[in-house]
Amino acid sequence: MVDTPLLSLEGVGKSFPNGTVALRGARLTVLPGSVHGLVGANGAGKSTMIKIIAGAHAPTSGTVRWKGEEVVWRDPGAARKAGVATIMQHVPLAPTLTVLENVFLGAPGPWRLPRARRREFDRLLRRVHYEIDPDAEVADLAIGERQMVAILQALAIGANLVVMDEPTASLAEGERQVVFDVVRRLSAQGTAFLYVSHFLDEVLSLTDRVTVLRDGTVVEEGPTAAYDEDRLVQAIVGRDLLAAERRAPAPVAADAPVALAVRNLSSPAGVRDVSFEVRRGEVVGIAGLLGSGRSEILHAVYGADSRARGEVLVDGRPVRRGPRAAVAAGMALVPEDRNAQGIVGAFPIWKNISLPDLASLSSARALPREAAEAERAERAIRDLGIVCPGPEALVTELSGGNAQKVVFGKWLYGGARVFMLDEPTAGVDVGAKADILDLVRRFAAEGGAVLVVSSEFEEILAVATRVLVVREGRIVAERPAHETSEEELLMLANGFGGAHDAA
Amino acid sequence: MPPESARSGARHKVAGGKTFGARAAAALRPGNAGVVYALVLIVAVLTLLSSQMGRPSYLSPTNVINILDQSSLVAILAVFTTVVLISGNFDLSIASVSAFGAAMALSLVGSLGLPLAMAVALAAGLVCGAVNGLIVQLVGINAFIVTLGTMTAVRGLVLILTDGRTITAKDPEAQRALIALQSGYWTVPHILAILGVAALVVGAAVALLARRTGGSPLKGAVIAAAGLVVAVLDPVLGFELRLSKPTYYLIVIAGVTWAVLRYTVIGRRLYAVGSNAEAARLSGINVNRYRIGAFVLNGLGSGFVGVLFAAKLLAINPTGLQGTELTVLAAAILGGTSLFGGFGSVLKSVVGALILFTLDNGFNVLNLGANYQGVIVGTVVIVAAAIYTIAGRQRQVRRVRDSGAAPQSPEESGVEPERQESLR
Repeated sequence: MVDTPLLSLEGVGKSFPNGTVALRGARLTVLPGSVHGLVGANGAGKSTMIKIIAGAHAPTSGTVRWKGEEVVWRDPGAARKAGVATIMQHVPLAPTLTVLENVFLGAPGPWRLPRARRREFDRLLRRVHYEIDPDAEVADLAIGERQMVAILQALAIGANLVVMDEPTASLAEGERQVVFDVVRRLSAQGTAFLYVSHFLDEVLSLTDRVTVLRDGTVVEEGPTAAYDEDRLVQAIVGRDLLAAERRAPAPVAADAPVALAVRNLSSPAGVRDVSFEVRRGEVVGIAGLLGSGRSEILHAVYGADSRARGEVLVDGRPVRRGPRAAVAAGMALVPEDRNAQGIVGAFPIWKNISLPDLASLSSARALPREAAEAERAERAIRDLGIVCPGPEALVTELSGGNAQKVVFGKWLYGGARVFMLDEPTAGVDVGAKADILDLVRRFAAEGGAVLVVSSEFEEILAVATRVLVVREGRIVAERPAHETSEEELLMLANGFGGAHDAA
Repeated sequence: MPPESARSGARHKVAGGKTFGARAAAALRPGNAGVVYALVLIVAVLTLLSSQMGRPSYLSPTNVINILDQSSLVAILAVFTTVVLISGNFDLSIASVSAFGAAMALSLVGSLGLPLAMAVALAAGLVCGAVNGLIVQLVGINAFIVTLGTMTAVRGLVLILTDGRTITAKDPEAQRALIALQSGYWTVPHILAILGVAALVVGAAVALLARRTGGSPLKGAVIAAAGLVVAVLDPVLGFELRLSKPTYYLIVIAGVTWAVLRYTVIGRRLYAVGSNAEAARLSGINVNRYRIGAFVLNGLGSGFVGVLFAAKLLAINPTGLQGTELTVLAAAILGGTSLFGGFGSVLKSVVGALILFTLDNGFNVLNLGANYQGVIVGTVVIVAAAIYTIAGRQRQVRRVRDSGAAPQSPEESGVEPERQESLR
């Protein structure tokens, strides 16, 4: 029986009514009880493939076989009934219901909380070796715990295959380990996983087999053991990228003027007495785990956090608290959550790019000159290599990487001198990532001061000249980038010995 | 514009380089101008019906002037409500605030005279708007809840002020002043000549400005030429404009508000605030200022409408104007304003108000029985919202199809395309 694949896709193609071809002759074979990795750049067709497996999209060509039999799933319910559970990136749970109710949301029966459910729930918990209060409201749970509730939900419907789309994207290191343990344990018990992730180290350590998608086709497939990170990246991108990413940052003259000085900054949001300086031409990385206060520090410096107290000086002059004063002083923030904080979805590219600097593009600072705005947008599109139909396109129509470039474009021409970048490459494909890291280096090379927060320490080391390690809202260590390593940063971020984290 | 960017402008046909014609065509698409077509259709149907039934012509100048007059107060309210909706908030208290303004004006006009009484009424409206805005923005309570509360509370103030009785302006001097403010007509002779000359001047200014910044003077030239033609036609047609005073107030208010929203930094930022407040804030825009400002403006406008209402009836009873806030919201929705902020046009909201009053008037003129009116109006509002929602979704698909460079399906771009388009 082991030889019969649980799920196989053969020659599957998918084109959309708008003419986009998302998949071409793609194949995928998932064996029972295996963990199968699916990787590819943004827009390579991963999401489409997942949606076909989940029954959300019907393939336009090719066949899907489930346990050896050809199937056509017309809606997600059909796939679910057959035994495919899909856990999307943003876990769709009902936040006002309890854990127990969420886990059995799809269960039949007229009553809300039959006693038998509790016993079943306990059995599930024992199966995964996990503890969670069944009566806790999901709204009160941490993201990692919600992820676990989603996994339990998948198990409750007796799924044979669990599809996980970027399950660890917003998890802290410890929470990741919990998810990994559960995946390993369940796969040993016979549940198969299709694991989609940007994090290649996760894919390498967790999966048995891996499939690489590029431009809608499968370019490679094989046992994970045959791959290392470099080979995987090359398969994804089709060119050698790591070399560009790992270019050593140019050193900064010790007498370069201080562009940004932060003194005794504290905030109830979790910033505790933080002081540091950034010189012109310097890229300072802030390394910290999720919840360490790394984003909160940026928001406090920028004045977006109105409760923050302390002193912030740009070019030696104190800056009043608040984003307006910060922008006027020459500070720029590229926020972590692009869609919620970075772009105005209803605006075309050109209106987004001119937004922070609108007054200076206006006659008498009151009447926007649209020709000048359009010209600036054109320039940003050229300078940053934004792939788009033109400045009239809505930012929401762009891919993650291009939308991020638009957010960068907002700050490029308005005289900003201090750039604060919060996870600048989150949700960005590998190609655009290299472009964005180049841009960060360019900011510094042109005399700007850059503060960059990233959860990928490798990325910090690739661009930063100096690294501040943050833990529990404090700066616990400072290292020149060329004298430290990813391992050391991780240890420091975890509190010296790295006691509770082997990763 | 330097030659290089002029070239690329032509390549992409963008805002600055987008031709006047292309813009006009986009503005006339049913998805954008649907509400205007709907008004034309309704008027056409009513005109046909009235001539069929042998009633006086529906499109007679008297009737048109009447409809405009009847709709003007609600349309003024709709203009300011649209501003609040664009900013991403919601205001249910406008009718109560108007009634409060009316009661203030009527109870003070005898002793203080109209200008002072009106100033007090406007100030009262402004304070109500400021209270709404401050509570919503600084305490952070949902605008629906806050204004539901102030709607009730301000109505209570009206009751206290009037002691539950209808108050009237008894002083003949005060009555005369109120009547002068609101009733009667202003006639603008040679309207074509005036409009033509205005267009000529604006067109010339636009063309000159475009030349100075290096753009194409075509747009200005077209406007100026159109103005010239209209002005020349005036001696032949000799058209004069005769409208009620409130209609003129509406024209000025809607015109100025539209221009501010369309052409100024304030307008652009208001749309940004309504569409994504956090992104606007991090871009250095004072979100609270814009949103509170919208509430204050709405309160002020409501106060003004209250004074006009008082002048119209020379009396206000404690339940006066009750329910008007829903008519106003219906007008804004008919005009395609989003209840989630960031989308909307004050001119379309005015057209929405015209639709509601055209239906109203049509039922009276045709004597169709007011019993059916509620059903018809309700249906029209829902159909309009459905058309906007569906048209918005199709536009999304079309945009994606047009954009050959976007390599991915809308589902993969990370943002739900419907979020911003639905319920507009």
